[in-house]
Amino acid sequence: MTLYLLGGMTVKKIGKSTFFIVVALILLFSASSVLGLDYQYGDNKTTLINGVDDIRLGIDIQGGVDVTFKPSGDYDATEDQLAAATEVINRRLVSLGINDSEVYSDAKSDRIIVRFPWQAGETDFDPESAVKELGETAELTFRRGSDYETDPEDENSVIPTGEIVLSGADVESAKAGSQPNDNGEYEYVVQLVLSESGKDKFAQATTELAGTSTPISIWMDNTMISAPTVSSAITNGEAVISGSFTTYEDAKSMADTISSGALPFKMETSSFKTISPTMGEGSLDAILLAGIIAFACIAVYMLVLYRLPGAVAVIALIGQIAGSLAVVSKWFGFMDSSTLTIPGIAGIILAVGMGVDANIITGERIKEELRSGKSLDSAIKIAYKRAFTAIFDGNITNVIVAIVLIGAFGVPSSFFSKILNHTIFYFFGATTEGVVYSFGVTLLAGVIFNFIMGVFAARLMVTSLSKFKCFRNRKLYGGDVK
Amino acid sequence: MSKTEKKPVSTAKVRDFCSKRRMIVIITAIVLAVTVIGIIVRGVGVAIEFKGGTVITYDCLNDVDAGKAEEVVRSIVNTSVNIRTGENIESDGKQLTVSFTSENGLTADRQAELTAALQEAFPDSDITLSDSNDVSPTTGKEFFLKCIVAVIFAAILIIIYIAIRFRNIGGWSAGLCSVLALVHDLVVAFAASVLCGFEINSNMVAVLLTILGYSINNTIVIYDRIRENRQLMPKAAMNDIINAGCSQSLTRSLRTSITTVGTMLVITIVVLISGYDSLLSFSVPLMFGLISGTYSSLFVAPVTWSWWMEKKAAKSKAKKK
Repeated sequence: MTLYLLGGMTVKKIGKSTFFIVVALILLFSASSVLGLDYQYGDNKTTLINGVDDIRLGIDIQGGVDVTFKPSGDYDATEDQLAAATEVINRRLVSLGINDSEVYSDAKSDRIIVRFPWQAGETDFDPESAVKELGETAELTFRRGSDYETDPEDENSVIPTGEIVLSGADVESAKAGSQPNDNGEYEYVVQLVLSESGKDKFAQATTELAGTSTPISIWMDNTMISAPTVSSAITNGEAVISGSFTTYEDAKSMADTISSGALPFKMETSSFKTISPTMGEGSLDAILLAGIIAFACIAVYMLVLYRLPGAVAVIALIGQIAGSLAVVSKWFGFMDSSTLTIPGIAGIILAVGMGVDANIITGERIKEELRSGKSLDSAIKIAYKRAFTAIFDGNITNVIVAIVLIGAFGVPSSFFSKILNHTIFYFFGATTEGVVYSFGVTLLAGVIFNFIMGVFAARLMVTSLSKFKCFRNRKLYGGDVK
Repeated sequence: MSKTEKKPVSTAKVRDFCSKRRMIVIITAIVLAVTVIGIIVRGVGVAIEFKGGTVITYDCLNDVDAGKAEEVVRSIVNTSVNIRTGENIESDGKQLTVSFTSENGLTADRQAELTAALQEAFPDSDITLSDSNDVSPTTGKEFFLKCIVAVIFAAILIIIYIAIRFRNIGGWSAGLCSVLALVHDLVVAFAASVLCGFEINSNMVAVLLTILGYSINNTIVIYDRIRENRQLMPKAAMNDIINAGCSQSLTRSLRTSITTVGTMLVITIVVLISGYDSLLSFSVPLMFGLISGTYSSLFVAPVTWSWWMEKKAAKSKAKKK
């Protein structure tokens, strides 16, 4: 059965050296995920691997920014528009990995209040630049021609006058990519997939303009990003913004902004302020202290109860905690960084609890098999095999929970959300909720690490140690003396 | 146990779990009664992010004591209050932001009263009103509905998963009973939170989700043992198999619970000593939920399930006659 892949894996190749290799790998991983890796070159700090210092902490622990937005000009937003704008901001926060935020809207005065924590390692604490992280609050438009007129109120700015072909609402998703430009050099671009309505409008406009010298210009509010001419009609609903991104991050941030949805009205900031951490730096120390005490207790408990497998469990648990932290700190390059919040810590605690459980289940099983009179080698082998079905089923049900939560409350353009939002949550609008989402992510990661550390690595270590003559004593595994 | 005996079942003494039906009914009734009474007596406080409320910002000369300000505001608005201090960038002055839940916003009179009270409490700080907003809930009814649908959906998937993986021991009923145990644990965690007077906020959501994952895992570990016993003892009566499974898992259940509940206890103690009370609304309900999870996975799920199987067997017997 394929399910026994991990549990029933053949153990022929496990030798004495396996233990040292596994321990070395776990320690290396743990050290790098806690300390991180960066180097200083002149004034530039380049971070190769994110460590604990690179984790963005929740508002209560770290403090943050409080910014109030209002519609620009005398625009009077409706309640629905205000709610839509609130949701767009929520989505942007989550797609930036900011999972601890508060977004309030006041329908009477058309204000939106956003609070979010400082970036990890923030040093200049300037709220104005922090707010820039939220992305443009400007409106994206594609316009026929590149005509504009000077703003009558401000000589230095312009107002586009071309007929609007597409707006942000016609874009279904956007992602950053790269493609060769006219000179054959690769440049960063934002690739857009248009919605059904956008597809038709864009096809019509590009058919009319194909081959003419009239360009289609792309604007963020009153700033023109580019104005490409149309060489042929585009009917597949794909569009590309190019020519203004110098780095991949520039392109990605623009893509994230566009995919989070268009703001229904233009906004400007009406006030900034900083928020002091309510719980203070001390709260983090208190949480850390509690964590260290709890871990020490668990370690002693496991050692006393299970001796050698207990010692192995402690090593595996270190790896598992490091794994959970690595997920939050973006140790893995392919994942987005997240925010360490109380719910996130809950996810880590649950995962560690499941890890301890996996080790207790196997520890108990080894004892049982030894007491029923089996030899040490076959007791270890059978114990891991039998314990595995329980661990497997228990963890897979948690994967189900995690995936439902990630899908229900994550960014709408993500994989799981797409599946769930078109089926089970069809009647709901997209509600992005960073708190629940971050819980789901840490839980999912914890389960994966439970399989890697609590099952696979622990098994390799115990089996390898049992090859040493000095570790052949059955008492070390909780068995009776033969 | 002699070595010649073929049963590789554990040496654990088999206890009779299945006969404890009366005890389970009584405990469940007590849990429900305490929950209902708790909700009636203490009321359920809902945090501003779920209910909406008022956010007021004051300018002040110097840092004010957040704890004292909280007391002053609470005595006037009668709900729990969140105080944040910070700095205004434009004027470079200190600021005090007060948020609390309120029905239909705050009248001008009440606002004036609040401002006056704060000015009186901090005469040296020259407190002036900077900005006041009545805010809608950030995550309102839709969030709750979606949460409920998400949890029900996850529960259905779990029942289907258990039905498939535990088909040799009647998976559908096992799945439903595991969800029953899960609901029991969620109620306990919720009741603990209400009784302690914590308001429903996003910490609470995290607690309930943690209990959800932990409770299902606990039940499945015991089901796994029952499934294994069914293979080892194909002829044995269902109740014997369930009793054996629960007995064999007892040590593991207790030991795992000691570590998880112990972790929460350590956090609770450290938080109490260091004074960061806001973490209590997280650690205390979680601790109760974990204790309930241990109990319900050993009793509620397997015993109601054995009950069900017995009823089913009796029914099919009656049909045959």
